[in-house]
Amino acid sequence: MEPLYQYVWLIPVLPLVAAMIVGMGLISVNQYTNSLRRVNSVFIISCLGMAMGYAFALLWSQIHGHDAVTYTLEWAAAGDFRLMMGYTIDHLTSLMLVIVTTVALLVMIYTDGYMAHDPSYVRFYAYLSLFSFSMLGLVMSPNIVQIYIFWELVGVCSYLLIGFWYDRKPAADACQKAFVVNRVGDFGLLLGILGLYWTTQSFDFEIMGHRLVDLVGSGEVSGWLAALFAILVFLGPVAKSAQFPLHVWLPDAMEGPTPISALIHAATMVAAGVFLIARMYPVFAPIPTVMNVIAWTGAFTAFLGASIAITQNDIKKGLAYSTISQLGYMVMAMGIGAYSAGLFHLMTHAYFKAMMFLGSGSVIHGMEHVVGHNPVLAQDMRLMGGLRKHMPITASTFFIGTLAICGIPPFAGFWSKDEILGLAFAANPALWVIGWMTAGITAFYMFRMYFSTFEGDFRGNDGNIKQQLLAAVGMTNPTPNFGPGAMNVKELESEDHGDHHHAEFPHESPLTMTLPLMILAVPSALVGLVGMPFNNYFAEFIYPAGEIVEHHEEFNLQEFLIMGGNSVGIALIGITLASLFYLSRKIDAGAIANQIKPLYNFSLNKWYFDDIYQSVFVIGLRRIARQVMEVDYRVVDGLVNLTGFFTLLSGETLKYFESGRVQFYALIIFGAVLGLVVVSGIS
Amino acid sequence: MDSNFPWLTVIILFPIIAALFIPLIPDKDGRTVRWYSLIVGLIDFSLIIYTFGSFYDFNNPDLQLVESYSWVSQIDLRWSVGVDGLSMPLVLLTGFITTLAVLASWPVTFKPKLFYFLLLAMYGAQIAVFTVQDLLLFFLVWELELIPVYLLLSIWGGKKRLYAATKFILYTAGGSLFILVAALAMAFYGDTVTFDMRALANKDYADNFELLLYGAFLIAYAVKLPIFPLHTWLPDAHGEATAPVHMLLAGILLKMGGYALVRMNAGMLPDAHAVFAPILVILGVVNIVYAALTSFAQRNLKRKIAYSSISHMGFVLIGLGSFTELGLSGAVLQMVSHGLIGASLFFLVGATYDRTHTLMLDEMGGVGQKMRKIFAMFTACSMASLALPGMSGFVAELMVFVGFTTSDAYDTNFKIVIVFLMAVGVILTPIYLLSMLREIFYGGENKELVAHEALIDAEPREVFIIACLLVPIIGIGLYPKLLTGIYDSTTTQLTARLRNAVPSLTEPAIALDIPANLQPSLQKMAGIPAPTLLD
Repeated sequence: MEPLYQYVWLIPVLPLVAAMIVGMGLISVNQYTNSLRRVNSVFIISCLGMAMGYAFALLWSQIHGHDAVTYTLEWAAAGDFRLMMGYTIDHLTSLMLVIVTTVALLVMIYTDGYMAHDPSYVRFYAYLSLFSFSMLGLVMSPNIVQIYIFWELVGVCSYLLIGFWYDRKPAADACQKAFVVNRVGDFGLLLGILGLYWTTQSFDFEIMGHRLVDLVGSGEVSGWLAALFAILVFLGPVAKSAQFPLHVWLPDAMEGPTPISALIHAATMVAAGVFLIARMYPVFAPIPTVMNVIAWTGAFTAFLGASIAITQNDIKKGLAYSTISQLGYMVMAMGIGAYSAGLFHLMTHAYFKAMMFLGSGSVIHGMEHVVGHNPVLAQDMRLMGGLRKHMPITASTFFIGTLAICGIPPFAGFWSKDEILGLAFAANPALWVIGWMTAGITAFYMFRMYFSTFEGDFRGNDGNIKQQLLAAVGMTNPTPNFGPGAMNVKELESEDHGDHHHAEFPHESPLTMTLPLMILAVPSALVGLVGMPFNNYFAEFIYPAGEIVEHHEEFNLQEFLIMGGNSVGIALIGITLASLFYLSRKIDAGAIANQIKPLYNFSLNKWYFDDIYQSVFVIGLRRIARQVMEVDYRVVDGLVNLTGFFTLLSGETLKYFESGRVQFYALIIFGAVLGLVVVSGIS
Repeated sequence: MDSNFPWLTVIILFPIIAALFIPLIPDKDGRTVRWYSLIVGLIDFSLIIYTFGSFYDFNNPDLQLVESYSWVSQIDLRWSVGVDGLSMPLVLLTGFITTLAVLASWPVTFKPKLFYFLLLAMYGAQIAVFTVQDLLLFFLVWELELIPVYLLLSIWGGKKRLYAATKFILYTAGGSLFILVAALAMAFYGDTVTFDMRALANKDYADNFELLLYGAFLIAYAVKLPIFPLHTWLPDAHGEATAPVHMLLAGILLKMGGYALVRMNAGMLPDAHAVFAPILVILGVVNIVYAALTSFAQRNLKRKIAYSSISHMGFVLIGLGSFTELGLSGAVLQMVSHGLIGASLFFLVGATYDRTHTLMLDEMGGVGQKMRKIFAMFTACSMASLALPGMSGFVAELMVFVGFTTSDAYDTNFKIVIVFLMAVGVILTPIYLLSMLREIFYGGENKELVAHEALIDAEPREVFIIACLLVPIIGIGLYPKLLTGIYDSTTTQLTARLRNAVPSLTEPAIALDIPANLQPSLQKMAGIPAPTLLD
């Protein structure tokens, strides 16, 4: 093996080692490590930087036609069973490595500014580095068990990072919710892996797919069983990529610090689901039922996310639902067989959504100077407005991102979304209609977000709105004495005594924060050009395993213009509506919301998913657990105590019947007890 | 020094004899005694490592380092010890955990001499349980090891310690009567009278008689493991024990039940095992789900973790009942793994209790800011317990999962139901563990608790103990062959013996082939149909 491929394991190991060294420092010499803030962050960033350089070298080598390389070693063994671990470097992996390392690096640089005043700055970097390790390990996995391993590890990193501010009650609830909902998906994934292993005797993607096709073909395995196993595996991506019905954790995950939302909950980890579907293509693609389920789940989720995003007032929640919606597009693309289009959208979305999340973080950072460190106030768009004047870099990069996600040419999102919609039309016009409508809604809510944040007048000093927002939280939050509620009180007091330390207007964020924004703006604007339909380098590079390369199909200009024109058209309608509502305020959004009150509430309350899950699953499970415990205490314990008594009685009696010599042993035991009592008397 | 030296006898007797000198040490507050005990523990642990490192052959599946001396010739009682792949990991575990338990009992100031005496006595007795090869002797050391536990519970326990200790002794002593009865019955069956386990294993018992024997052993070991519905002593005992005793209870004593099930029920009575295995599997899955649910509802921290132990032991039963090398190997791994994880969790519960002086979750909350290191360690150990990949619990559970799924001894529907319910346990475990973490550590500062208790963070000794436990947990998790390699030959042999007893299983276990150098080049895979667009 050439040296370049021999040392590939360094890519995940570098951030792991960095995380371990810093983590050790935190545990053993906490105060000293914490005092070396920049030393730690520079160390971790440079480790990841090296990994990024390596990843680029691999991508370069793969683009120039190097064969895929797999290296494995025996990891677990019992009898004839062998489980291998190692790494695979192919086109998909090298692309994912570059995406993950670049976004992670920029997020880490950004973190320096965003978390500058946080006492747990160093711990945050350690977690970030640990996450990078897990995510890089995931995309390099050669078999599904290794994917499952890293799949869980990224889940734990997500758990740790969502609950990073563990003194806030909402964060504590959110991190647990994220982990448990993901475990529900993993439950399916695990069962699916076991089922596929049971039928095909393999954990390797291609072998699994190959043998499954043969087995179904020869009738040894029934078709529905194969479909069931594949759908169980798909449950993993459903949870990880926040697809209906397991999407509920992602919006709550926004309780974590904003860099995390950008890295984990927008660009990389949530895209792991799409990546897994891509890896499982040899298994999924030959089963039409599964592909249908995937496509419809994605389409429905895309619509669901967009329909909720339209009424959210928290800027991060809005972006979170937009992420859900965009992930829905990707999953739908995978389901209709648009393999490279789905992954193309994964790439473009990773860059522009990471940028927008970081931009929202920059906005929140600015708002905190005005309204204080209270997420209820600092993240609410009703208090923002007019920020473009105060934060020009943030505003212009956010604007690029908004154009990209709305699918305005030539920004990145246009090319990827258009490719998906074009293929969806060919596959099933119904799916296209959903995707097309969602594109319109997307344009509307994104520009609603942009206009209410960056245009108009600044509303951050409006005491009435603040009181309303706090009152709303006070009403919905029954225990305001915990977590942020406690902070609210403080904030209110400082409000009453006049704003001494608060600025009147937000300021632009420091360079460490704006630099990543500006760098990310470049791919957000331009990366789409590698996947233009008439010159699709991307699709030539990324294609499903097994598909023979014949991507030189004729480019049909007329078709492209019709499809592209349609999606740009609906996006423009959405933008126009948004500008009427929120820029020129010709139409009163509140009045319209009142007219369609049920629909508005339905969207505002997220289709009541959280309430339904709470009352059915959470409370239901608690009740069952409670009853089981009662049974355990009253019935099992009581009954066994009774029988235990009789057992002992009968045993005692039996002893004398069995052998006369047993007293001898009883004597030994008695003597031992006596000896111990004597010893205890001495001391 | 050579392999004829009675190494195992020395390992067993050294801590017991050393314990006898404790009353002679002039010491009032226990400062000398604890160092003395720690050194004894370390010496014995080093002896274990030296012995296995030098004289144990990992590729030999049979008993090694065998010593046999006649003790009471009238009843043919022999001091006969030896180790194979089943005993060896558990002997190592015992040495490791017990030594750490001595270190964990540093703050004990009430009757320190008796406390350390009992700990050291247990040290020897526990190793004896895992090594003796004479069934009568096994019964004796099994009983012998109960006495220190009884005293440790009843003298140093919590408020309801006497109730808990009595319940413990009634349950376990009641259970062990079945061992005695079965042992005597086996010894006198047939022409020769013997208590030697290997000789007993080779006797050919009548079918119904073997089932009876199996049932008797099962009851005894079900109490110890514990298996539903004989588990209710455990939450009481665990709820009252102090941290070091806790570590021993969860880390080692529960494993005795599992060990004895494998050694005697499966190893000596394979024909009956073929009949009972489905029952074991069902009990195992009941353990997993039932105990996980109960744990979720518990509001007392110690009882919560106690039920989580019961839940995890279910995997041992399923692995044992799977008739596959992988499943059995996973069962042994789960015992070792839970020994480490259970001990660490219980130690941390003790450390938390030392600070908060309450075990009720409702009275805790928000202590994470004051006790950051304990928070971090608690999180790490909870993750290990909920089978996070990269830690030992995951490997063990995965092996049991795959082993049972690929088992050819059960029909498909039965397997589907069992695997499904096991997987439900995989969802339930994080629910109760993470809510526990949330309720202890997360949230705003708990003013009531802070006002009364000094919530100081972990001291270096506590960090050291947890670090010692996490090293093997993560080590096994990263590279499981470290551990599976040392017992694989024995479990393979045992599986072959178990499979021979099942008439329907004549073929060897399924062979797995993942080509080592699989090159997923596209030309090779051209045979797979290309994904097509759906119309």
